Amino acid sequence: MVHKVLSEQGAGSITTTAIRIRESGIERRARFRGLAEPLSLLVALAVLIGVFSLLNERFLTTSNIQNVLTQSAIPLIVAVGATLVILLGSIDLSVEGVMGATGMTWILLSNNSRGGADLGPWAWVIALGVALLLGIASGLIFTALKVPSFIVTLGMWYVGLGIATMLYGTDLLPRLQDEGLKGWTSRISFGLPNSFWVALLVIGLGILVLRSTRIGRVTLAIGNSETIVRSAGLPAFPVKVAVFAIAAVLSGLGGILATVQLDIGSPTVGSGVLFIVIPAVVIGGTHLAGGKGGILRTVLGVFLLTILNNGLILSGVESSYQSAVTGAILVAAIVFAAWSQRDRLRVAK
Amino acid sequence: MTKIDSERTKVAVPARGKMPSVKRIGGWHAIGPIVIFLAILVVVAILTPAFIGSGGLAIIASSSAPILLLALGQAMVLNVGSIDLSNAAIGLLGAILLALTLGPVAGLSPVIVLLATTAFGAVNGLIVAYAQVPSFALTLGTLGIFQAVALVASGRTTVYVASNGEGVHALYESGIANVPMTFWMGVCLAVFLWVLLRYTRIGRGMTAIGKNESAAIFSAVRTRSLKVLAFALSGFAAGLAGIAIIAQAGSASPTGLGSDLLLPAIAAALIGGTSISGGVVNPLTVIFGALTVALVPIATTAVGIDAQAQSLVYGAVIIGVVALTMSRNKSSIVK
Repeated sequence: MVHKVLSEQGAGSITTTAIRIRESGIERRARFRGLAEPLSLLVALAVLIGVFSLLNERFLTTSNIQNVLTQSAIPLIVAVGATLVILLGSIDLSVEGVMGATGMTWILLSNNSRGGADLGPWAWVIALGVALLLGIASGLIFTALKVPSFIVTLGMWYVGLGIATMLYGTDLLPRLQDEGLKGWTSRISFGLPNSFWVALLVIGLGILVLRSTRIGRVTLAIGNSETIVRSAGLPAFPVKVAVFAIAAVLSGLGGILATVQLDIGSPTVGSGVLFIVIPAVVIGGTHLAGGKGGILRTVLGVFLLTILNNGLILSGVESSYQSAVTGAILVAAIVFAAWSQRDRLRVAK
Repeated sequence: MTKIDSERTKVAVPARGKMPSVKRIGGWHAIGPIVIFLAILVVVAILTPAFIGSGGLAIIASSSAPILLLALGQAMVLNVGSIDLSNAAIGLLGAILLALTLGPVAGLSPVIVLLATTAFGAVNGLIVAYAQVPSFALTLGTLGIFQAVALVASGRTTVYVASNGEGVHALYESGIANVPMTFWMGVCLAVFLWVLLRYTRIGRGMTAIGKNESAAIFSAVRTRSLKVLAFALSGFAAGLAGIAIIAQAGSASPTGLGSDLLLPAIAAALIGGTSISGGVVNPLTVIFGALTVALVPIATTAVGIDAQAQSLVYGAVIIGVVALTMSRNKSSIVK
């Protein structure tokens, strides 16, 4: 058998060279594509900023830039977690529910108009603990019971909303009383809004986790091929649970910041965030099938969507069109990204 | 070579031995949705006998009609291994178009709406099949577009049927066994889809795509046109759901309702035994999935759970029921 294979290789040496040339061509194109995607996003961002600054002189003012940064902070924080989950090849739909539950827990344990205990920093710990528990629950149901993440997190969305509604009860709106915290998210320190500093910290930590920790590398490996990860003896299950826990804590952090920004506690504090975060991750070029993509690309995606929405509002476009613009950009981005890889035998789910 | 062959047969023997257990899971898969619906119904009947006596079942059936129609469309798309996140938005847009056009063109209006929604669905399908993009991302994008179109078409307010609404409204008012025609419309669609999936080449091809798309391509199944058809059916079902909404309420509001129906419809399809990874669907059990989704809020109040805890219970039920009815094997990869 071995002999036969060797002789076949010898006979087909011309074809092997041809294959090698083709492979190096594919590799070169792949390298170019790896660069071209973020580059095309940057170009799109630059064009957008250019057009909007020509249309409206208010667009490039310091106050509007700070406004855009404040608006993008919460989606950025949540999107870091969502990127990690999507890199696994899974999906996290529970974002808005976790935001609601965490934000409500936090405001009821802080200095609010309903009275009750004011636990100060412990409110943050307990609220993020609630998010952590929800995340671990999602992760465990997903890995141990093998329920698809789409369904687990869809259920967790409702569970989170339910927890928030139960905590909210039938009393008056809980209003934030702490003067130091009111408007903290949009206050400026060192030239940038506070919430954006938090987002930068989260992005930095996210990149660190993805690039240089075992969790991050195994996450990418699971997205590429879970079978290989498992047969290599790498801890696929614990990593999956950890990623869902990280994503939930980041959603929770987003929920607390959104509550601070809103000034009042509401179960639906996160509404609409999912429709920014997932398109942003996909527009950034992270594959929904997992394994390919990154956090910095997602950051570009979030900026693209927030700048677009901000610019359109400044240009006087009615807010009804906002979701259509986000949708159209999403469709254009995925069609653009997939166009060169079209193949009759390719399977895209 | 003969040695290898004999080894292969040896390997194949235990696989054959496993067949009955797979079949058993398949059986549970088929009756699971019905059992779960009946179990919840029995609990409700014991705790609040008055509810069942006073036509409670008819109430459940009538409130589940739009969810059922959307869930059937969703199940067809899930069956080819894709997902349609835009179908509730299409249904809502259909309802708004119906409310706007019933006055001017009367009887033609439902036909126009159904043609339009089927075309919307087909556009989704064409892009998924020919641009080869992931359906989740694509339909998330078109969801935004349809939502905006609905907002603009309705002028951001609730649209009421101005005139000629009687014919459509009769679908809700008249019925068989106290259950409105809107629900029976869903049942008819379910039976039609069941026949399509079981006995026609088209339906068989669709299931083949869901089970293994590469294999389907190599077996000369016309995967692209069948995918377009699945999405078009989802659009058509969404149009029917739009008609059911107008029949029931006489008006349609562009905000909220679309997303209010999207997740329950997906949940109904999944509770009805549809596999999210494709290839497993039974439109007839989806009926029970939709009934279960409509029953859960009623059951939670009957059991005495706080109204505020309803969405919590709802979420837990979705996870629990899918975990119970899902077919899985140990080595499979779940995403």
